[in-house]
Formats: sequence, structure tokens, C-alpha cells
Amino acid sequence: MIAQLANRIALSIPVLLGVLALGFALLQLVPGDPAIVLAGPTATEEVVQAIRVEMGLDKSVPHQFVLYLGRLLEGDLGRSLISNKTVASELGAAIGPTAELMVACLAWSIPLGILLGTVAASLRGGVIDRLVMAFSVAGVSLPIFFICLLMIQYLGVEWRLFPFLGRGGPLWTAEGLDHIVLPALSLGLIFVGPVARMTRSSVLEVLKLDHVRTARAKGLSETAVLVRHGLRNALIPVVTLVGLQAGYLLGGAVVTESVFSWPGVGRLAVGAILSSDFPLAQGAILTLAMAFIVINLIVDAAYAALDPRVRGA
Amino acid sequence: MSLAEPAAGALAEDAAPPARRRLWLRLLTDPGAALALLILLVVVLGAVFAPLLAPHDPYAASRAVMQPPVWADRGDWTHILGADGQGRDILSRALYGARLTLLIGVVSVALGGVVGSAIGLLSAFYSRIDPYIMRVVDMLLSFPAILLGLALVAALGPGATPVIIALAIATVPDCARIARSIGVGVMAQEFMEAGRAVGLSDWALFRRYLLRNCISSIMIFMSLRFGQVILLGSALSFLGLGARPPAAELGMMAAQGRDFLLFAPHIAVIPSAMIFVIVLAANVAGDALRDALDPRLRA
Repeated sequence: MIAQLANRIALSIPVLLGVLALGFALLQLVPGDPAIVLAGPTATEEVVQAIRVEMGLDKSVPHQFVLYLGRLLEGDLGRSLISNKTVASELGAAIGPTAELMVACLAWSIPLGILLGTVAASLRGGVIDRLVMAFSVAGVSLPIFFICLLMIQYLGVEWRLFPFLGRGGPLWTAEGLDHIVLPALSLGLIFVGPVARMTRSSVLEVLKLDHVRTARAKGLSETAVLVRHGLRNALIPVVTLVGLQAGYLLGGAVVTESVFSWPGVGRLAVGAILSSDFPLAQGAILTLAMAFIVINLIVDAAYAALDPRVRGA
Repeated sequence: MSLAEPAAGALAEDAAPPARRRLWLRLLTDPGAALALLILLVVVLGAVFAPLLAPHDPYAASRAVMQPPVWADRGDWTHILGADGQGRDILSRALYGARLTLLIGVVSVALGGVVGSAIGLLSAFYSRIDPYIMRVVDMLLSFPAILLGLALVAALGPGATPVIIALAIATVPDCARIARSIGVGVMAQEFMEAGRAVGLSDWALFRRYLLRNCISSIMIFMSLRFGQVILLGSALSFLGLGARPPAAELGMMAAQGRDFLLFAPHIAVIPSAMIFVIVLAANVAGDALRDALDPRLRA
């Protein structure tokens, strides 16, 4: 298992370097001079030049990239061109809320998806099965911003059940819990469908196997067969799915955070891109890429914990 | 040699016409798939002929600000789906918007699909380079489309073009993987060996035997991908990172309706619902196509 994780990490390094190089290279193509943006429209040429030197913008591009990597290792991601705060501090404040949102979303959507998928598999071909499958296809076809807007329209405005702007505070406060409900519901809704679908097909697959027939033959109740022998083995593909869908989750988080003004990394990234705040945009994209890599590492670890065959390998 | 060649070719190509007819029969007798295909056809026709069908200029403001659709109170037939915050006709904008949304989806899936299939099939054909190519593909695969989109838009500025490039690049590794696995299966068939034995060139083998036998399965995969690409493209436009005003795009129209959610929800709901219907139809049709053509690909 350790070898597996090490392999995974080794595979992540070129990805990460690629992210850095790509982001950096692309930022070099951008028209406009960040020094002029930072100096403001009334600044003299000397001021602009001074800022350019201070930011290392007068060096060659490869040199700037190396400087950037060096600063990165020291945890220095530069300063936002708009707020002039350090990118690290802006990101530091945003990572928590994003992690909170993802955990809150997965905490309800995965169990519900597994439940729906198992029920659908056990009642294969029936009305409930068809309903779950229809729900799951509809779920993956819904634009995430549409879900968010409907949540705001009905649960937020019309029925006044939950607040829909910003974060109320840490999750352990009533205010904090109240504020996370709508974003977590919206983001989770796109996830229930794929999980239900994957659980259904993998439970059906497992139920065909010999050990399940043996369990039935020795007189176990249908529920016990389903849960102890079907579901447990069927969870492995579901875990894999979460890893495969991590990008989908990140994309959803970017939209959800923007719609609900949730102060996370996704909203930061979109705001930075729209205001041409390149250091902040670069930092936010890098953080999202790191999140993606970390989610995949966690998935690999969970995979090994669930499947003894992987652990041995 | 000239005798053997058609025999080998016949194995590879013969089964196509009756299978295709059976496939269409199967699709059209499945009510869900038939309805989905019908919806897609209507949307595509509406988008293609938008300039002829649109009752109003999609960019012209009018005094009918926030007018509701015809079925609501205060609605009337001049603006069948109502008007937006600037009094622009929503039906006309939706037709033009679907045009741009579909264009972004089709162009990026086609671009990414062609490049991805070429890479995947070459990898299957030349097994010596296969491990290297697949290693690179794996790395690309672990780079989520949304990040690619954000990075490209950050560099090039918001617009439809960076979104198309990002979505196309994101389609390449997925498609390469599928194309390779389909291609490897075909490479193992006897007719490939037969073709080689009669002395066909690599190019002829690749084009006539490998490509022809893989193309339909690859197309199915690309049709499954289409819905996801449209969702992502419209989400980027919704965030203000994709298509730029004054052009109409469905995701952007939904974003413009956000400010009027309380007084005129139809401005955001109509374009969002259209995206939903298009993606749902694409997904249902794609699933049905996959099940009918190649049950082994079923997830």
C-alpha cells in the first residue's frame, strides 16, 4: 500500500510541475503590464520601472519561472495586484471554507447515493429502480448553477428556510451550519446521481458472484446478503468513482462558491481571473490543483483500506 | 495477392450495413431514445436556422423589460418566452444562445475527439510507443478540465475561444484512452493479421482496417462526452469567463437573469432549463446508442 501511494505521489510530481509551468507560461502571454496595473494610471515611468524591478518582471522568462519556484518553496506566492495582501494569506483564508464545503457536500451525497443505488439494485427493474435511474441521469444533466439558483429562489427567498449569501462562521456554530446548507445541498445534488448509478451497477455485479449464492444458501436474510456481502464489495468502485469525479467536484465547487458568495478558493480564482489579478489567479489555480491531487491520494488510501488485494500488492 | 485482399477486407467491412439499420430500428423503437433524438434534432434545427426563426433581434433592447412569458399573467404573444432585464426577446436570444452553446460543445468535442482518437489509435497500432504515449495521457488525464479552463481563460482573457481550446484539450486524454482500448481489441482480430500478410502498407492497414472498425465506438464515446462538455462550457460562461456580451450564450443568459431572480425568475430559468434539456437529451441518446451498439462499454 505504501508502494502504491509512493507511486501515486511520484506520478503527481510531473503533474504539479506541469500545472506550475503551464500556469506560469500562460500568464506570460497575457497582454498588459502588471506593473502598470499595480502602479495605477497616474504613476510616472520611474515608479512603474521600480515596481517592475521589485517584482522581477525585468528578468528573462525562464529566470522568472525559477524565481517563482524558489519563492513558492518558501511559501511566498506573491502579492495580489488588487488588494496588495499576500496571495498566501488570501489563500489561507479561503482553503478552510472550500474544504468545509466539500466535506459537507460529500457527507450527505455519498451515503444517499449508496443507499439509493443499493435499493435500486435490490429492486431491479421495479418502479423504484427506474425512478432512481431517471433521477441519476437527470442529476448529471443539470447545470450546477441552475440547481444553485433554484435553491436560492425556493429554499432561500420564497420559503426563507436558509440564508444564501456568504459563510456564517465555523461549522460548529448554528450560524455556520445554517449558511452551509444551501451550498452543500446544491453541490451534493450533482454527486448523488453518479454515486447511485455506480453503486447500483456494482452491487448487481457482486450479487451474481458465488459467495453471495453461498450466503443465500446458508439461509441469510436478503437484507443481510445485500449489506454484508453485496454492498461491502460494491463500495470499491464507488470509492474509485469519487477520485475520478474529483475534477467534476472542483468545477462544481467553483460555480457553487461564486453563486453563494462562499469565501472559498474557487470564488477567489474566478474573481482574480476576472480582474486580471495574475498572482492571485495563479495561486488559486495551483491550490485547486493541489486539492485535486490530495483528494486522489486520499481515494487511493481508502481504496487500499477497503480492498485487501490492493493492500497486499 | 489481389485475390486475398478483398477477402480480408470483407471480414472487416461486410457486417456494417444491416447492423446499422438494426441499430436505428432499435433506437427509434426505444421511446426514451427516440424522444431524446427528436429533441436534439429540434434544438439543432432551431439553432442552425436561428436567424430565420427568431421573431426579434436578439440584441435589441425594448420597453418590454422583464416581461413574463405568454403563459404567465401580463405575458403576451409579442414575446412568447418573455423579455430579459433590458427588454430583449428571450425566445430570440435562446435560439441564438443555443447556437453558440452547441457550437462550443460540437467544436471542442470534435477537435479533442479527432486529436485524441489519432493519439489513441496510433498508440494501439504501434505497440512500441504505446507505454510512453499512455504515460503522457495518464498525466494529462489527471489534470481536471475546470482547471485547464481557468488557466487558459486567465491567460487569454474571457471568451468563447479559450473555453473551446480548454474543453478540446480536456477531451483529448479521455478520448485517447478509449480509442486505444477499442483499437487494441481490433488489433487482435485476425483480419489485421490477414491484411498485413497480403502486404498492405501501414497507412492502408491503419485507415481501412483499424480506423473503420473503431470509428463507431469512438463516436459513441464522444456523444457521451458532449453533454459534459456543454455543461462545463456553459458553467464557464455563467461565471463570466466564457462567451462575452453582447453575444448570447445560454449559460451567460442564466447569469444575466440572476439579478432578476426575485421579480422575473423566467430570465434565468428558461436558458438554464434549455441547457438541462439539451444535456439530458444528449445523455439519454448517448446511453441508448452505447447500449445498442456496444454493451461492453456499459458503465
